[in-house]
Amino acid sequence: MAARYRLGVDIGGTFTDVMVADEAGAVVATLKTPSVPGAPEEAIFTALRELRRADIATEDVALFVHGTTLGVNTLIERNGATTGLLVTRGLRDVLEIRRLRLENTTDFYGDKPLPLVPRDLVEEIDERLLSDGSVYRPLDPDQVRAAVRRLIAEGVTALAVCFMHAYKNPAHERQVRDLIRAEYPTLFVCASADLWPQQREYERCLVAVMNAYIGRRMAGYFRNLEAGAVTRGLRAQVLSTKSNGGVMSAARAADEPVQTLLSGPASGVIGAAHVARLAGAPGIVTVDMGGTSADVSVVVDGRAAYSTENQVGDFPVIMPAVDVSSIGAGGGSIAWLDAAGILKVGPRSAGADPGPACYGRGGTHPTVTDAYVHLGIIAPDRFLGGQMPLDPALAAAALADLGKGINLGSREIAQAILDVATSNMYAQFTPLMARKGVDPRDFTLLAYGGAGPTHAFLLAKEVGIGKVLIPPLPGTLCALGCIVADLRNDFVHTLYRSDHQTSDAALEEAFATLEGQGRQWLAEESAHEIPLESSFVLYSADMRYEGQAFEIEVAVPGEARGDRAAIARRFHEAYHAIFGVSDPRAPVTFVNLRASVVGVTAKVTRLQPPARRSAVPAAQTRSVFIDGQLRDATVVQRASLAPDGWVVGPAVLEQYDTTTFVPPGYRVRADAFGNLVGEAV
Amino acid sequence: MTDTDDRDAPVFLEILHNRLQAVAEEMASVVLRTGFTVFVKETGDFGATLATRGGEVFAAPLAIGTTNNPGKPHRPVIDAIPDWAEGDVVITNDPYSTGGFVTHLADLYLIKPIFVGGRLLCFAACFVHSSDVGGKVPGSISPTCYDLFQEGFRLRPVKLYERGRLNEPILRLLLDNCRIPTQNWGDLKALLGCLATAERRLQQLADRYGFDRIDRGIEGVLAWAERRARQFIQEIPDGEYVFWDYLEADAWGGAPIRLRCRMHVRGSELYLDFSGTDHQVRGAFNLPSMNQKAHYMFVPTLCRYFRTRDRSIPYNSGLVRPVHTHAPAGSLLNPRPPAAVGVRAATMIRLMDVLLGALGQALPERIPAAGAGQACIVLLAMHDPRSGRRRVGVIQPIVGGSGGRPMRDGIDGMDFCVGFLRNVPAETLETDMPVLIEHYGLRADSAGPGRYRGGVGIELAVRVLAPETVLTARGMERTQLRPWGREGGSPGELGCAIVTTGRGERRPTGKIDELLLQPGDVITFRSQGGGGYGNPYTRDPEAVASDVRRGLVSPEAAQRDYGVALNGRAVDALRTAALRARVPEAGPAFAFGPERDALEAVWPDPARMALHRALDGAPASVRSYMREKLMREMAARVGGVGAVRAQDVADAVRELNAKIGLPR
Repeated sequence: MAARYRLGVDIGGTFTDVMVADEAGAVVATLKTPSVPGAPEEAIFTALRELRRADIATEDVALFVHGTTLGVNTLIERNGATTGLLVTRGLRDVLEIRRLRLENTTDFYGDKPLPLVPRDLVEEIDERLLSDGSVYRPLDPDQVRAAVRRLIAEGVTALAVCFMHAYKNPAHERQVRDLIRAEYPTLFVCASADLWPQQREYERCLVAVMNAYIGRRMAGYFRNLEAGAVTRGLRAQVLSTKSNGGVMSAARAADEPVQTLLSGPASGVIGAAHVARLAGAPGIVTVDMGGTSADVSVVVDGRAAYSTENQVGDFPVIMPAVDVSSIGAGGGSIAWLDAAGILKVGPRSAGADPGPACYGRGGTHPTVTDAYVHLGIIAPDRFLGGQMPLDPALAAAALADLGKGINLGSREIAQAILDVATSNMYAQFTPLMARKGVDPRDFTLLAYGGAGPTHAFLLAKEVGIGKVLIPPLPGTLCALGCIVADLRNDFVHTLYRSDHQTSDAALEEAFATLEGQGRQWLAEESAHEIPLESSFVLYSADMRYEGQAFEIEVAVPGEARGDRAAIARRFHEAYHAIFGVSDPRAPVTFVNLRASVVGVTAKVTRLQPPARRSAVPAAQTRSVFIDGQLRDATVVQRASLAPDGWVVGPAVLEQYDTTTFVPPGYRVRADAFGNLVGEAV
Repeated sequence: MTDTDDRDAPVFLEILHNRLQAVAEEMASVVLRTGFTVFVKETGDFGATLATRGGEVFAAPLAIGTTNNPGKPHRPVIDAIPDWAEGDVVITNDPYSTGGFVTHLADLYLIKPIFVGGRLLCFAACFVHSSDVGGKVPGSISPTCYDLFQEGFRLRPVKLYERGRLNEPILRLLLDNCRIPTQNWGDLKALLGCLATAERRLQQLADRYGFDRIDRGIEGVLAWAERRARQFIQEIPDGEYVFWDYLEADAWGGAPIRLRCRMHVRGSELYLDFSGTDHQVRGAFNLPSMNQKAHYMFVPTLCRYFRTRDRSIPYNSGLVRPVHTHAPAGSLLNPRPPAAVGVRAATMIRLMDVLLGALGQALPERIPAAGAGQACIVLLAMHDPRSGRRRVGVIQPIVGGSGGRPMRDGIDGMDFCVGFLRNVPAETLETDMPVLIEHYGLRADSAGPGRYRGGVGIELAVRVLAPETVLTARGMERTQLRPWGREGGSPGELGCAIVTTGRGERRPTGKIDELLLQPGDVITFRSQGGGGYGNPYTRDPEAVASDVRRGLVSPEAAQRDYGVALNGRAVDALRTAALRARVPEAGPAFAFGPERDALEAVWPDPARMALHRALDGAPASVRSYMREKLMREMAARVGGVGAVRAQDVADAVRELNAKIGLPR
């Protein structure tokens, strides 16, 4: 039989989620299997075995996309390779000085993050380019050899190379890279301008250093995964998700694992954007709420927003990534009283272990989840489809204990915890939206993740959002994102010339070069029979008025890429839109030119497998304590929700891996795709 | 809590606190997104506040912008306008008519009353540090300005909008008197957006919870911060703690300016008396506090300490309710108009050290040693030989290491006092200007040794490629008087700057006002390290070995300062034990270094106080001159072997009076 399935796998911290779609674009299966932290590929093999039992043969998989958190975890847990760094003489401390600024200037005991490469594993190389790319001091290969030998003696197994102005002329970096590959083939080596040729030595150096730091481990993982999948019958190319929401081949990912760092949250947003596109919601704010925090992103007209000011753990990442920010509280956030007797929620989280008090794993501090249980929002016997019964008595005891401190009963304090948690989220959500220039009241809130649907309406109410969308399978949006992701790669060229210093021809040439790089990348990636429906290139430029210190990104239509005046016009317009002023006669500077190449893959249009024919219980009611009183809430099994019938809050909609809570003031119905559509009444 | 009758106060206050904090952060976010000038985007020198009708700050942003808002006195601005009406927006940039609300002319402020249902709820205010407000130099700020009029135009509080209608003549006046009218108008629009956001959000809050509940809640949030601050002050042993430190401020050859504070703690109240701080100076270092109670530029160290103890404490003026201050009129910290104030930031930064020292005496086990204590901004101006265009740009802000802490080392290359500053990538600098960054890194052997050493300073070497390059470096400090060490820790190394000419001659520059450089010249800045904390002979030898391996401490310094001998890269345990057998006796609580000790051997506190009191009687305009002259001459008279005696000072002052035509 011809290959026909599309398989998406999202490896999370606790579970590995799998989603399978057929060639007609319908999701035909989903499954969840425990993750294996030491060997993430094992969970995938388990899943392949289970799918085979459901008559989905590995041989029939045409597209295999997976996302892994191995890279980001390696970085955050700091258990990557012993990494060395070669830099231009004089710039040894580029990782120590960073961009100077301290994270928290009001904490006398605070520290700056420890660099990934300690100072004694940084070697200065006698070479120097000037800002125009010309050679000021030539490279001495023997000095490079001596430096590498010393680092190897120190136990270094991975090397990053970052030289001044390599974005302008990568010759010295490449000479060193090739020398090391030839003479020290066991070292993992990467050069900054190969990965991301943008001006700014600290950030570009970090790209190379992070890549080297996680590189060996990631390369080993991809090797094991590919080999194991092939022996299990896989014929399709293994693809990996990227921070920019696209996908790339596993071979590429093994060389450039830095591109996967933010892929987890990015996949979720890509999945959410797809859901929103199908549902016809033009503007959405996505909220992925898990145990410790909620990830927020903005999607307009089905397109995710991108940012080049992202953060992974302690470090900035300047490669474009889907713009995701963490805010406020999660289900595991702990409630406590400060020394003035004021109720606080978070930032400490009970995590998965011991977890909330109601997990019965020894947690004694009440959490947001304990509040859900105690108020009747989550049914303790239906958590994870009943696989993990919760103990409401433990939740009640922990809550009562905390409440005593401020003379509140257990229900009142539980309600207060949700109110405070919601206000925490509000406190970070609104300034975030302001920085993005977004008024969330014009948007639909799309919630996913374990606690997202439970808290979505509470947050929507606080922020003043009238519309809420809950996808059919809120726990598997990242896996959906894997299936619907496009091939996508970004390219940058730092031009740094004002309009009077450059020419239309120079712009055209630079953009054409970027396009050429993009087309070549796409050809290489899609050579492995990845079916594409179409492809296109998006251009943009980071621009500013001459002499200014900050840029704004301006979209450049393909036909205008060699037209300074036309691009400048767009810049003045964009500038006016943000700042309310502009100066159309002033010279403008083109700082970076960018291109993103996109190979569009086929999309799914049915978001969940057909419901199994099981006896669906009729709607019931249960008491939920809300707004200071006990109310009878309608309890509905999500699978049994009839299309186009409204359920009015207070209501609880239960499904396998989450619970949707609809407070008074909102109502919900199911749409044609199985989404829950909520609105304020 | 004032809201104790309200049973859910502990819950409502946290919710309200979150909501108010969100409004403040959103205000700052609007400025950041739509603000125009470099100060907004790069250094974050802008701010937003919400203040009660009584003028107390009840919410201010922490995530972005300036964070020294608790204690900002809004009351004088509120009182300056007799007829606040809905839709008004008041503009001002004048320190002297706003009671120290504004502290230099470059800060453009807007203030708006927030009405809900016709009732005045509170005020919202915001500012940006404008890149130019006129005056004698582009950028409006120069340490050598000697009166306010050289520093730009001056607007006392006046309505820019009256009931929503733009007051065109005021706007024209303002824009016609600066070098960058378009940018300033852009920034003002960002500020107007910020205030509109505040108004909308507060009206929403009042709609939801009711005017009176919000009004009471605001007081509740202030009282909550106050209560936490009082708890922390209560832990400070009652008593008097006297401390002083100096601004070198010698760009024009003056004697160090002394900032003196007597901190008096009684129960949960804290008094800061700045009597004895030098009189106002001719240069632009004066800080116009107008003697406001707990002025925001006096209290950042205290607020930082409270926040260090409890990160979740509300960040508002409640924190400084228990703090009382006195800065005598005519002093550096409360100058009389029209004293120049442009670089008062240097004074505020040194004041942070003074408070750190006072607080450190009371709480030695909690408070760090002194850090670099400077924000030296290096600027270059030249004609680019390639294009012939004139270029002016910031090379780097140079700070230095932070002080060693009671449980860990200081931060290398950065200090809290200006922790918000960002640097400029070397690649960008070299593209923008004809310079070559030869070296930009950490400065070895600059940290004050200690059980927990200070952070090391910065070394920056810039090769000049264009003829007639002019360099200025404002805010350079601690090139003569070191960041002090604590509890047996040693002071950090002094900062310095050196020019190496194309012919290889090296000469120290001293403090730089303006320096002319030619192609081939290299200017090197070596900034100070932070002071150490605790006896360095008790530092973990492995930590010393690690510093040596990482090249931050030389093997010689390891042996000399720490009593740690190394064998290759590892600790030589035997020799280290031998070296450490003769542990130097416990060092002093404060180690100021030989330079300050020498200064104070000649000018001990009693003599300095006598001089200060004697100058109190002199006209304000000549005090600065008289102080500097007397300090120089009387030091010369004792010939470097003895101390100036308090009783001789009065005579010397009388002599000088006679010479300059004043009554004896």
